[in-house]
Amino acid sequence: MKDLWQTAFITPLKEFLKQVSAFLPHLLAMLVILTLGILVAWVLKILVFRLLKTMKFDQLCGRTGFSQALAKGGMNEAPSHLVSRMAYWAITLIFLILGLGALNLKPVDEFVALAISYLPHLIVAFVILIVGFLLGNFFGRATLIAAVNAQITQARFLARGVRLAVILFALAMAFEQMGIATAVIVAAFSIAFGGVVFALAIAFGLGAKDAAKDFIEGRIKKEQAPKEEDFSHL
Amino acid sequence: MRLTWITRSDLLLLRAELQNQLQQIGPCDILVGIPSYNNAKTIGHVVRAVSAGLAKYFPEAKSVLVNSDGGSLDGTPQALADAGVDLQSIFIPHRVNPLNKISTPYHGIPGKGSAFKLIFEIAQMLQVKACAVVDADLRSITPEWIELLLRPILKEKYDYVTPYYHRHKYDGTITNHIVYPLTRALYGKRLRQPIGGEFGFAGDLANYFLTKDVWGTDVARFGIDIWMTTTAIARDAKVCQAYLGAKIHDPKDPGADLSAMLAQVVGSVFSLMEENERLWKTIVASEPVSIFGFQYEVGLEPVPVGIDRMLKAFELGLKEFLPLWEGVLPQEVLAELKSMCPVTPAVKFADDLWVRVIYGLAIAAHRKAMTWEHLLRSFTPLYLGRVASFVLETQELSHGAVETKIEELCKVFEHQKPYLIQQWDHSSTQGGVS
Repeated sequence: MKDLWQTAFITPLKEFLKQVSAFLPHLLAMLVILTLGILVAWVLKILVFRLLKTMKFDQLCGRTGFSQALAKGGMNEAPSHLVSRMAYWAITLIFLILGLGALNLKPVDEFVALAISYLPHLIVAFVILIVGFLLGNFFGRATLIAAVNAQITQARFLARGVRLAVILFALAMAFEQMGIATAVIVAAFSIAFGGVVFALAIAFGLGAKDAAKDFIEGRIKKEQAPKEEDFSHL
Repeated sequence: MRLTWITRSDLLLLRAELQNQLQQIGPCDILVGIPSYNNAKTIGHVVRAVSAGLAKYFPEAKSVLVNSDGGSLDGTPQALADAGVDLQSIFIPHRVNPLNKISTPYHGIPGKGSAFKLIFEIAQMLQVKACAVVDADLRSITPEWIELLLRPILKEKYDYVTPYYHRHKYDGTITNHIVYPLTRALYGKRLRQPIGGEFGFAGDLANYFLTKDVWGTDVARFGIDIWMTTTAIARDAKVCQAYLGAKIHDPKDPGADLSAMLAQVVGSVFSLMEENERLWKTIVASEPVSIFGFQYEVGLEPVPVGIDRMLKAFELGLKEFLPLWEGVLPQEVLAELKSMCPVTPAVKFADDLWVRVIYGLAIAAHRKAMTWEHLLRSFTPLYLGRVASFVLETQELSHGAVETKIEELCKVFEHQKPYLIQQWDHSSTQGGVS
């Protein structure tokens, strides 16, 4: 009976306690790393925020239309706040991965190795997305202004098209960078982009042939007609 | 868009050729500069008027005529070389010193400012006492213009002369609605044509212009005129005006982009506001500036104005740009602009609102609320709306009555200057619109 008790309960319990006591320092190390990470992330968040304020990052975002785009998306936070918060979570995530590595568990180690090797792709993809978004806004606004000044009534449609095309392009590049369905993304983008151009060509050539004719005739007549506004602005 | 394809070796050769020419000429008293680009039709008349003016009014002075060309393709340099004047037929004895002519292409950013830079450089090399610049597209220039632009410098010890013309009531709308009232309110000098195109200035001032590093900016394009005038005022130069009669010139290039021109001129004014912030903030009123020359009434040809087109551009701009101007222009200005939609021929763009729009833009540019290019170009429909409203309001008025209206506008600009200063300071510290 005593042997049975020893074999069935005491030995496994001892083994378990031994494993727990072997694991505890790793857990403690992970908790220390995580706590340190949160602390570092918090300090870095403040530093990034102050640096961005000094660099007048909010004004830069205002100029490029990024702030307005964020506001449209329901984010009324200042971009400097947003970026510093993102820096906080990025650092916390990195320390979390390092902490998990400290657990010294084989599946976790494999996951950590994978995550670390994937991290640069993720960062590059994120940067591509941000730059694409900023460029999309910038070119969209430039198109809107140029089209309105040229008195094109479909100016907003044109501007949205340009903005969307740039963002879509950036999105395709970001997905490719992350290695997500690379072939599908490239094919989908090519088909979508080519499709839009083809649809526009057909719409203009067939569906709107009268409108195209009127437009071209109007342009020719306008060029031939004496200029209405003949005064010098300067 | 004008482009001159020139290699580095061509440039060095040209420079060397020009240097030789200048060394042969030696130090001069007077330089008259003519910037040109495809002005073969009119440059002959301008050169004849300048030659006659120099011979008649400054026969003893050693003078040089410099044509700074932007790569004309219509034979402008040849037209200049061929232009001669029979002085005896206009009762002028032969000059003591023959007039030297230089025609050379300029380099750098294509534009009037780059052409002027070359003229300043030649003026510096020839150590001239007085310079005058006149546009190559002028049809109404007479020999007297040369006297009026140069005599205040040579005899009356002035440093800078701006033109004073009679123009059609709708000619020079950027001048009348923005540049004149704004520079008058900012710098306190009532210079009626601060961007007139024809100027006289002392050789020292030309040297001073060259010390400024602005030739890669909009100053190299349409911004040169306002830059010269403001720089002269900011340097506390002695300024005056010369009455030149009527200004009639060839129609401008119809392909010229209004929004680009507007952005360059207004952008230059705003840049100068940044540069001279300490000066303009201390000025509280304006003072008249002396006018030389015998003033007379001139008959002016009517100019057609496309009001419908302007109103359409204004309405489209209001519809599309209002979201863009959120956070750029003050809320009450946006509300008033919004209330003008849909735009009808009864639209009234009041002086008070117009001044707040201009000051709002200046403040937005100061706090960099948007890319300058976008901010200034998005302003074009508002400008067209203001011009259309002004034309509709003054259709039946005489030239004198319209001048009175512009005077009233200037007073509103001056009256609201404290608002500009307050908002400017606020945006410098807070970075937003209050």
